[in-house]
Amino acid sequence: MSKTALVVDDSPTMRQMVALTLSNAGFKVVEAEDGKDAVNKVAAGPKMDIVVTDLNMPEMDGITLIKELRKMAAFKFTPILMLTTESAADKKQAGKEAGATGWIVKPFNPESMLKVIAKVLPA
Amino acid sequence: MAWTGRRLKNLPPSAANQERTSTIDGLLEQQKAWEAFAVCAVSIIPVLKKQMEAVTQQTERAAMDLMVHIRAMTSPATTSSPRDTSANFSKIVMAMQFQDITQQKLEHVTQALDQWHKHLQALLKGPHDVRAKQEIAALQRFEQSYTMEEERRLHAAALMPDYQEPVPMETEQTEAESDSVTLF
Repeated sequence: MSKTALVVDDSPTMRQMVALTLSNAGFKVVEAEDGKDAVNKVAAGPKMDIVVTDLNMPEMDGITLIKELRKMAAFKFTPILMLTTESAADKKQAGKEAGATGWIVKPFNPESMLKVIAKVLPA
Repeated sequence: MAWTGRRLKNLPPSAANQERTSTIDGLLEQQKAWEAFAVCAVSIIPVLKKQMEAVTQQTERAAMDLMVHIRAMTSPATTSSPRDTSANFSKIVMAMQFQDITQQKLEHVTQALDQWHKHLQALLKGPHDVRAKQEIAALQRFEQSYTMEEERRLHAAALMPDYQEPVPMETEQTEAESDSVTLF
């Protein structure tokens, strides 16, 4: 059975590139345009096996989204990757404290991203 | 000024002196506020210019990368293995992300210009306007809006006292830099 990924980014181009990368690798992809949209979608939708989210987004940013997701029982152990242009150590630390599993700095390499996902996904 | 002169003539000498001192103080304060603005403008204009030049260079680099990899994928002369195709696909996806990156850089330049605009509007109301001070303070720390190391580096380079353009740019990002991953 294919795994489901939630891709959250306010840039439609970026979202589609991540979605394309993941769907080529066999994932079913659900897209959300910001944190708020993501929270609404997970409340109504299927269980997610992995979340890939941007950091700076309108309505709700990536850090807040992670905190919100970690409050939900279904997302307590779900791998969540932050995908952002931000590379400052203090921001990474904030992501780690919020509950992110990993941090990928844009531009992402699809092959490397899939390797990271394979590493963090439970067998 | 003529009005002020007539007004001063009608005042008793001590009151006229007080009025003169207060007018001069006001003018000096206004001059100080405009000088602060000029100092800020002198340092920020090269920064914004540099950030926009970087965007131009990045779009050009991305377009070139895209052309190279699309040519490699579509050339009938080369029979690509699935591994080569996958590597080319990865590179195309990486190059296409210039849109997201340049969009963010331009948004940061726009934020600085907006702040500048607000500051000028406040300054025109007079040096006592609290907003003028707040806006210039915000403008002086606008680099806090940066999200990319490249932006921070360019900002620092443009503020160097011996800054001569163009500051050498990284022409190629290494695989390690462009694909940095941290697992917690």
